[in-house]
Amino acid sequence: MSLAAIRHHNVSRLGRGTIALALLAVAVLAGACIGETPISVAVALQTLANKIFGAAYPLDPIEAGIIWNYRLPRAIVAACCGAGLAISGLVLQSLLRNALADPYLLGISAGASTGAVAVTIAGLGAGVVSLSLGAFAGAVTAFLLVAMLARAAGGGVTLHGTGQIVLAGIAGSQLFNALTSFIITKSANAEQARGIMFWLLGNLSGARWPDVWLAMPVVLLGLVACIWHARALDAFAFGAESAASLGVPVRAVQVMLIGATALVTAVMVSIVGSIGFVGLVIPHAARFLVGVRHGRLVPATALIGAAFLIAADILSRTMIAGQVLPIGVITALVGAPAFALVLIRGRRAR
Amino acid sequence: MIMQTRNLGWSARGLPIVEAIDLDVIAGETLGLVGPNGSGKSTLLKLLAGIRKPSSGSVAVKGRPLAAMRRREAAQSIAFLEQHAETSEAITVRDAVELGRTPWLTALQPWSHKDESIVAQSLADVDMAGFGQRSWATLSGGERQRVHLARALAQCPEILLLDEPTNHLDVHHQLSILELVARLPVTSIVALHDLNQALACDRVGVLARGRLVALGAPHEVLTVERLHAVFGVRASIVTDPADGARLFRFHALQ
Repeated sequence: MSLAAIRHHNVSRLGRGTIALALLAVAVLAGACIGETPISVAVALQTLANKIFGAAYPLDPIEAGIIWNYRLPRAIVAACCGAGLAISGLVLQSLLRNALADPYLLGISAGASTGAVAVTIAGLGAGVVSLSLGAFAGAVTAFLLVAMLARAAGGGVTLHGTGQIVLAGIAGSQLFNALTSFIITKSANAEQARGIMFWLLGNLSGARWPDVWLAMPVVLLGLVACIWHARALDAFAFGAESAASLGVPVRAVQVMLIGATALVTAVMVSIVGSIGFVGLVIPHAARFLVGVRHGRLVPATALIGAAFLIAADILSRTMIAGQVLPIGVITALVGAPAFALVLIRGRRAR
Repeated sequence: MIMQTRNLGWSARGLPIVEAIDLDVIAGETLGLVGPNGSGKSTLLKLLAGIRKPSSGSVAVKGRPLAAMRRREAAQSIAFLEQHAETSEAITVRDAVELGRTPWLTALQPWSHKDESIVAQSLADVDMAGFGQRSWATLSGGERQRVHLARALAQCPEILLLDEPTNHLDVHHQLSILELVARLPVTSIVALHDLNQALACDRVGVLARGRLVALGAPHEVLTVERLHAVFGVRASIVTDPADGARLFRFHALQ
């Protein structure tokens, strides 16, 4: 099947869905097999069969343990995280009509980090508030601050092509990163501080099954919300007023979808720390492949994001023998040049 | 009366931009809105479209208050063609026109053959039938304006609100857009800069400093005295010997 065929939707919806799920399964399987101890696909599948269907293949318990307890949840969390961050970026780009919008650049990730650190280190919320909830509060606060700053700077959140929201996002990121450092320095002991710093750069090492059960429902919720509003997102192509005149309840959709974005970003940050560039770059890649209509763009973005982060995680584990690179390093190494490309193409479009 | 406003007003930071507008729009008419820059034409159209909330007064569509209608429902009867609607998305002409079907589609009422044929008809109506696959970025200003109009037509509205639809168009396309709008079996309210074009409307409303200062048949409303008072120009009326039509000629005041 050619790229052109996918682009011109000659392939049926069911066909596309099947291809997408198959790709996802292959990516997760790759995540489970590749690593410092390579494990064959057969062993990985047999482990799955043993665990899920109660089959009784005789397996090396260590290999089975690596697959089931470490690599599989890690790959699934990576997939959820990649999909979640990518659709968050897509929603922000569509609603703010800014090609450079993404949860990392707009300070939402930084806010989530601050919220998470405030809960874990400074003990804010007295143990009642969970890490994810703290991250969510931080994410929403950061976005509101950034949006207000952009508006005060004359950009507004509905205007197109203005750099204000991105500049405000940079200011917001700096502020919240500084707050995070402040909290860590003030309240954390040396060991905590080291752990937190590693986590902040993005780290999937700690991902276990409970994380899967948190990440998966949240990302599915976000995905459903975006697909449900696909036509509304399309209608923002000519701006918020145009969307309103096409019958979109603009304020409600903005609150709902940006809220969903903040929730997804916050949960992902609370599990794996803040990972940059996924939300920025993946939606552009998806637009290039399937076009601008959100009915197809949202699932494609989620799928590519999932596959990309699994691949980035595999690279982070295998690139330097005996060392795990923070995954944020890999995504930035790929993402920064791609970001440059978006900037240059944006200039040509004007 | 297909649309009525009572004491309609909108202010920004306490400064009234539009105030005390009482307007009765007759079903099927083409109503021109004229006025100098900053007289509130665009704001009034946005209030009529329901995409801006009035600071005072109300708008009613076929007797029902617009403020009480759901956005989707309002968009099924009112289409609004704004000024300067641009996009950097790599959309095609067809994508843009299909957006016009948004108020009619839900998750339970997905895209159908009916929508398909409405989009095709709208493109044909604005003379853009062969342009479906063209990308937005390659269109000229006039083509973009016609695609916007096709998008508004695809909404199948009863009321069409147009904010200076002939801006930036060459004279041929100015005339063809206005003729198309006049031919459409819908009520249209059109903000216009060209007073000679306004003469072709069924009725004309004159806005000055946010108030509706005159409303009626073009030649009764657009008098030499009023043009002097509202626009600050000296106008003379000349008659086209070809068909006897009366036209304005303008001179700056000394």
